[in-house]
Amino acid sequence: MQKFICSICGYVYDESVGSSENGIAQGTTWESIPDNFVCPICGAPKSAFKLYKETPVTLTPSQTNVNNEPVEELRELSTGEISIICASLAKGCEKQQLSAEMEAFNKLADYFKSKATIATQVKTWNNAINMLDNDITKGFTVAKIVAQNNTDRGALRSLIWSEKVSTIMKALLERFVKDGEAMLENTKIWVCDICGFIYIGDIPPKICPVCRVPNFKILEIERS
Amino acid sequence: MPAYRNIRLCSKDCMCLYVCPTGATNTENSIIDAAKCIPGCMACVNACPSSAISMIPTAYPPQQLKSEAVIAAQRALGQSKIRQEHLANAVAISSKSAVTKQFAKAIAKSNRLMAEDILRESGYMLPQSRKVIELLKAMLENAAPDFPKDTVKLLLNQLQNKKV
Repeated sequence: MQKFICSICGYVYDESVGSSENGIAQGTTWESIPDNFVCPICGAPKSAFKLYKETPVTLTPSQTNVNNEPVEELRELSTGEISIICASLAKGCEKQQLSAEMEAFNKLADYFKSKATIATQVKTWNNAINMLDNDITKGFTVAKIVAQNNTDRGALRSLIWSEKVSTIMKALLERFVKDGEAMLENTKIWVCDICGFIYIGDIPPKICPVCRVPNFKILEIERS
Repeated sequence: MPAYRNIRLCSKDCMCLYVCPTGATNTENSIIDAAKCIPGCMACVNACPSSAISMIPTAYPPQQLKSEAVIAAQRALGQSKIRQEHLANAVAISSKSAVTKQFAKAIAKSNRLMAEDILRESGYMLPQSRKVIELLKAMLENAAPDFPKDTVKLLLNQLQNKKV
């Protein structure tokens, strides 16, 4: 009997126990569980589960040659990046109760957003899935090693959260491409306002499975 | 440092009203009156049984330095998330279905939040930090005719008063 862990929230499926929440009897092997199985805690797809070993696997710097890769020359910030940075600084002012400063940063974020010209070729979900795949297999892997090598825990924290959010997003997009709007017919969509975690269901989890914020910060995306 | 009340935590035990020497805590909208609040007094913070009041810092230490390698890696990912936000917004605008629009809006918002977090960790966390002040000054130097210069001047004036 083996155990499988949800890479998003840490829920462990134990074959010898089963999953009463999903009506899966004890002794059910992982292979015989249907592909539409979702994590009973956070809704992550079956593909987000990994074989659970008691000693967690961590990346070591020696696993790649990332140290020897030339650092890409730092270019000027794009208008898209400045817009994002200003929006995040507005939240930083809000936390300090600086409302005039918050409004000013939001105004700048809107200004730069209106100036942003971002070249995306074909605007299809498959295009987004490819970009996510590149983020997950390459972008996050490299950035996590860089953050570890520089002992930058803040950067590493942001990468671990966003990698989880990206994994869920990719699974949702793949389902949407396959099943279409039927998958959303009688259900709600929620997004965690802190980390971006997306939840499909009637009531979001009590705490965000990615960033652990209480669910009053997981907000519903209304259907217009 | 003025006091700040988190209304979500406030259980209306009202100890802050009893101990406040200026009446700053006794307001009809539950927001502590910063003009009346005595900086550093702490009486309400110490008296509150539900830990709903805290002091807002007015001075911050210099921020931790970010290495060039970390900045480059964070920016590469941030740019990917920005492109995906843009793509999702384009789908939200062009689709005629309410369900697809809703789904695309969720994808766009999630990407924007990830980009904010990832780029914040490229050295733009604290609004009062030196890097942010430099960014604001650079905006003024390269300003297009329609750029809201006064907004940046206000920010430079306000944020530099709250020195790090």
